[in-house]
Amino acid sequence: MATKRKIGVFVCHCGGNISDHVDVEKVVEGVRGEPSVAVARTHMFTCSDSSQQEMIDQIVEEKLDGLVIASCSPKLHMFTFRGMAERAGLNPYQYVHVNLREQCSWAHTGDKIGATEKGINLVRAGVAKCALTVPLSALRIETQPRALVIGAGISGMRAALSLADMGLSVFLIEREASAGGWVSETEMMGPEGMHGPEVIRALLARIDAHERVMLYTEAELIERSGTIGNFDVKIRLRGSEEIPLNVGAIVVTTGFDTYTPVDGEYGWGLDGVVDLKQFRQMLTAGPLVHNGKPVRDVVFVYCVGSRQVKSEACPAPHAYCSRYCCTAATYTAHTLHQVAKQTGQAVNQYHLYRDVRTYGHMEMVYEQARQEGALFLKWKPDTPPVVGQADGRLCVTVKDELGSGDSMEIGSDLVVLVTGMVPRLNGDLNSLLKIPLSKDGFFNEIHIKLRPVETVIDGVFIAGSAQGPKTIAESVASALAAVAKAGKLLKKGYVDLEPLVAKVDTDKCIWCDECLKACPYGAIEKVVCGDKEVAQVLAAMCKGEGACVPVCPYDALDVEGYRDDQITAMIDASIKEAAIA
Amino acid sequence: MPTLDSKPLDYDVMIVGAGVAGMESAASLGDMGYKVALVEKNSSIGGRSILLSKVFPTLDCASCIVTPKMAAAAHHPQIDPMVYTEVDSIVRNGDGTFTVDLHKKASYVDFDACTGCAQCEIACTVAVPDQYNYDLVARRVAHIPFPQAVPKKAVIERHGQAPCTHTCPAGVKPSGFVSLVRAGRHEQAFHMHLADAPMVGSLSRACYAPCEGECTRGDKEGTVHIRAIKRYMVDRYYADHAVPEYGPVENQLATRVAVVGSGPGGLTAAFHLAKAGHQVTVFEAESHAGGMLRHGMPRYRMPKEILDRDILNITALGVEIQTGTPVNRIAELKAQGFDAVYIGVGNQKPRIIPIEGRELPGTEIQDCMRFLRETNVGDELPDIKGKHMVVLGGGNVALDVARTAVRMEAASVSILCLEPREKMPAHGWEVEEADEEGVRICAGGATKRLYRDAEGQAQLEYLKVGTIEFTEEGKLKSFKATPGTEQSLPADIVVLAVGLGPSTDAFRDELGLTPGGIITVDDQTLQTSDPVVFAGGDAVLGPSIIVEAMGQGRRAAFYMDRMLRGEAMDVSFGDTLEMTDKQTVLDTSKSWRPVAPVALPVRPPKERVQSFECYEQTMTEAEARHEANRCLNCGECSQCQECVRVCPAFCIDFDMKPKAMQLQVGSVILSTGYEILDPARKVPLGYGTIPDVISGPQMDRLLAPTRPYNGVLRPSDGKEPENIAIVLCNGSRDHTVCNPLCCRIGCMYSVKHAQLVMGALPLADVTIYYIDIRAFGKGYDEFYEQSKGMGVNYVKGKVARVEQLENGNMALSYEDMEGARGLKKREHDLVVLTVGFLPNTEPFKLYKGGTLDADDFDYVRELDPVSEPCCTNVAGLFAAGALVGVRDIPDTVLHAGAAAAQVATYLESARAN
Repeated sequence: MATKRKIGVFVCHCGGNISDHVDVEKVVEGVRGEPSVAVARTHMFTCSDSSQQEMIDQIVEEKLDGLVIASCSPKLHMFTFRGMAERAGLNPYQYVHVNLREQCSWAHTGDKIGATEKGINLVRAGVAKCALTVPLSALRIETQPRALVIGAGISGMRAALSLADMGLSVFLIEREASAGGWVSETEMMGPEGMHGPEVIRALLARIDAHERVMLYTEAELIERSGTIGNFDVKIRLRGSEEIPLNVGAIVVTTGFDTYTPVDGEYGWGLDGVVDLKQFRQMLTAGPLVHNGKPVRDVVFVYCVGSRQVKSEACPAPHAYCSRYCCTAATYTAHTLHQVAKQTGQAVNQYHLYRDVRTYGHMEMVYEQARQEGALFLKWKPDTPPVVGQADGRLCVTVKDELGSGDSMEIGSDLVVLVTGMVPRLNGDLNSLLKIPLSKDGFFNEIHIKLRPVETVIDGVFIAGSAQGPKTIAESVASALAAVAKAGKLLKKGYVDLEPLVAKVDTDKCIWCDECLKACPYGAIEKVVCGDKEVAQVLAAMCKGEGACVPVCPYDALDVEGYRDDQITAMIDASIKEAAIA
Repeated sequence: MPTLDSKPLDYDVMIVGAGVAGMESAASLGDMGYKVALVEKNSSIGGRSILLSKVFPTLDCASCIVTPKMAAAAHHPQIDPMVYTEVDSIVRNGDGTFTVDLHKKASYVDFDACTGCAQCEIACTVAVPDQYNYDLVARRVAHIPFPQAVPKKAVIERHGQAPCTHTCPAGVKPSGFVSLVRAGRHEQAFHMHLADAPMVGSLSRACYAPCEGECTRGDKEGTVHIRAIKRYMVDRYYADHAVPEYGPVENQLATRVAVVGSGPGGLTAAFHLAKAGHQVTVFEAESHAGGMLRHGMPRYRMPKEILDRDILNITALGVEIQTGTPVNRIAELKAQGFDAVYIGVGNQKPRIIPIEGRELPGTEIQDCMRFLRETNVGDELPDIKGKHMVVLGGGNVALDVARTAVRMEAASVSILCLEPREKMPAHGWEVEEADEEGVRICAGGATKRLYRDAEGQAQLEYLKVGTIEFTEEGKLKSFKATPGTEQSLPADIVVLAVGLGPSTDAFRDELGLTPGGIITVDDQTLQTSDPVVFAGGDAVLGPSIIVEAMGQGRRAAFYMDRMLRGEAMDVSFGDTLEMTDKQTVLDTSKSWRPVAPVALPVRPPKERVQSFECYEQTMTEAEARHEANRCLNCGECSQCQECVRVCPAFCIDFDMKPKAMQLQVGSVILSTGYEILDPARKVPLGYGTIPDVISGPQMDRLLAPTRPYNGVLRPSDGKEPENIAIVLCNGSRDHTVCNPLCCRIGCMYSVKHAQLVMGALPLADVTIYYIDIRAFGKGYDEFYEQSKGMGVNYVKGKVARVEQLENGNMALSYEDMEGARGLKKREHDLVVLTVGFLPNTEPFKLYKGGTLDADDFDYVRELDPVSEPCCTNVAGLFAAGALVGVRDIPDTVLHAGAAAAQVATYLESARAN
């Protein structure tokens, strides 16, 4: 080292999240003596505006050239503190984030001494790493003012229109023969009573008229390469024709599937046992008849395929709530009531539920259904309703938890299974897009509250029920939220990428192609350098993952920010002496 | 600057409300390159979410979620956060843009200079319920809302001026010194009083205390004894400081000012002029300074050593007092080199009325001023021992004469006045005290003549007054004595106390006077017909009380200083906030309950007539602080000036005014959130009456990292609860409070509470009483199942009643619908009511020139929630977040993102056209 570094170390209480389990003052003491540490202190909330201002003042006053903040996960605040470093005139890549919250206080609750000792070691390692940082600048990539929207349900259609209205060119692709998705098949949409096909027709008319939206049906994504701001994609049309496109962002709105009950599940397969979608179609056809006979009794069974508990019969349960179905079912109760009134039928409705989740304003749908005479009976998962046949009719046995508590039998003409949403099987799409899935099997966002439509693949956004069960209005809102994020990316014209990428020491490299084989992103290419062939890193595609580093037999690769000398120094620092004597 | 339709725009979009929704929309639009004004009525952005403990279902701490959004909004180059700012009106222009009128509220803190060091908060003497802790604890009036505030600036919340302070003619701030005494800071209390009025001791004895007449408690169990508190404060101070702690100000000016008359008004003027740097000489005709305080006030009320000490407060500044130096001509003063003159000669010229028989030998007729002067400053007291005295007049001066005479062993002292007793100009309490001391009060009598009776005793004969009329101001207009009602009073001495006139004869040639001798002045500046001469006090007002004279001295000093510095005179003086409404104070003061005033120590009448010693005594510190604690902080800020004193950045400015602005913007997003339903509306559940029944938002505060009690403790006794009930759906899904909607987040935040409580108090039992558990979002049902796994007990059933038990716990009556069934009772030691929410209807008032559509429940209506989220019936005016229906943070973030996209397309299409 040419000159002694001046590093500031700031340890966060996280308002007790950390300091209840880690002695943060001891952590500060533990690094104060390090030769490169110029300032070490604690803050109640390092992320708060005032603490940031104090740190900025100290960086400026003490002329710090390195910064270590020990707080929560870098997933939460790395960008916060990089921004702060920048405002203080410090290169943001000379800041090192140490995660005391997840790695010490939460992992070692109840062992304050141990957690503190580990905290000191981690911070010492952070200081060692920081001392070896060099100033870096972001990689600036130009973005193309075009977007690809995958899936032309209501979310995709609405997203495409909005992106186009913002001045971007949009390619909207749909696997099916026509656009519109589930909504185009739903004639009575609760709670507003809108007519799905009409909503879709209106959107389709706008898309047709819009010069910047190109809709391809029977179209599939078959190739994707490139990076944020500049993706090369290939679309296959009607199974044959292939169209190459270049887009700056991709919005994935591939929607959901409905749960299909297994045979025998709540009588599935018996005559008269239908799902909600089938039942709603029956309601559009005038008087409600089944097998030529007017329907007198209908039983709705809620939570079919939702809130499942793992069992032998159900080894891979859908443990989540599908959120839209209670409202859909209670709205259907109202529709049934209307139809029956019009046709002069007397129909008894029995709704067998676990919890009625008509949240927010949708409570009024539930209330209306009750007022119109629908009966609601609560069942528990350990005693689910049993659907069978008796006397040529269906017969549902249910333990009425809120009434007598006894089992009762309900004779009925139709049993409607209110099925939940399940992740759509998208064929090869998932492997092309590489978007991680949540444990429910839907596309996963980076953070449900902080970055709800962004994925770990930069430039690829998710919206609608592809992300998880949503109502129509919620799907469209999320689609427009994705538009806002994609729009920000494409309208600005450029994007700054992390410079923490691999680099090749061309003196050592002899091009053996081990790194090329190891890289999952295709970010290595062969180039001629002077008189020999060497590897070169395509920085925009490199994720800094480092798979290339250990496989290199000549030690010619390093990832900036995680260089070998830094890692070695971190290990040395964290084991050099007992943290707490 | 961006333009739309060639009209210059200040911002592309204005976002009203900087909670999660507003911050999210702002960041998205800023990132897209639009210029954003982010308006927030509170002093920090962040909304309600920043006050949360953790957030469901991930149990991230709320700060971790919200502070990145706060920082992103606050530091964004395209976003101007405008905190502590309220929108007044939003009008849509013909071209689709909007004109927004708004104002930055007066924070009384210069945000540019404030460093957020919180010294003011530490020093502030007034505690009020802390809305950021949902009233669980108190905060100071000068405060930073919460530790993570952005920007981190202090504000001083003031809703008006306390009635006591508002009413004081001298500009003394009783609310301030009372709160300082309450805080045990009597020295600071003295200093802040001194800054307004230097005769602190005199006022503590002799002021008629109009403040006490306005005290909000006065209409209840009795006024706060403000003057007695002041007396405690000044006695403590003077005991410790025989002389002032200061000398003349630095930066003395060359200007010289003469003050004529050393009464309370003249001395006050001299004090403020000297503080401003002028060289001041006071001319006093009498041998002692002090004016009426010296000569007119009996010593049992106004001890002369206190007055002497008060005068040191003025002379310490370098003010010279020349006694025995009457001023007869202003021209002479000018000739001596004085640049300006203040006339405060007072009202000391007695009115003489003719009495039939006044030549009666052996009967002495005196004027009241001579009598008082002799008793107050004469070498020896006039000998009236054994003589009968009649005092004519019913004012305070008459009472002073009579009560003085009682102390001089007169054989009898009578007061004869025209007015009936209840209409006597003197204060009622003074008449009563005189009565107690043996003064005979003959109210409603008109003097007829003096005569000598058969025994040779001089008698004053009087008639009963039959009719008497007063003007609207309460002055005597006319009266008629009833013939044949003659009565007599023995009268060796008759003292005339029937009014005093201004002592202004000397200036008749030089100044404009009324025929009655009153000096004519400009009402605002107190400037006389001679521009360098100012006048105030009784010579201008007629008979008045000392605080009025002091107020005039201070006012004149303010304008004289401006005149001498050559500054404009058309500025206002003593501009204050409106007085707070007392009923509002009582309605909103959560701590109000009757507290009996301290019984002021007073000597019994028989004892007190034995001497001229003060008959009132000074309270002890405990008494003074008890009394000060009765203050209701009517104005919130007491103006005690402690913040001003301690602020290292000199950024407190009590003269700050709201700042109005008008902005042209391309579009508007409303994101003003929701209101919390007051759980007290569910009366049988005991909120507001049983201390350990708390609301859901309060529970969140108990669990937050910045929690008020630093632990999960129940409010009544600080005990760690062991058996907690969480009751869902209080005021939601509930027609009894006209709120049939589901609150949408109550179930989840209650499941979160249950989990957090079990983490904080591992031994505690938690029971959730519910209708349906609505765990519908991503990961929510799993979170609910997890809580069951942790041992949270779920009871399906509505709670009908909460009663407090003798042991301090609560009994919940509920219907157990699912388990054992039937009506049940269960005991808990903390009850949390998960409350419903209400729409924020503020936006409907803001939009002018049309109607902003509401839905059936008074939320802003989205025209087409299916395909056009966030669009209201007004094109270009969008709504984001809970304003269209309460929702959780993830749904709010998505909705706000949609609003940003809608704004962007609106602006782009406006530009294209």
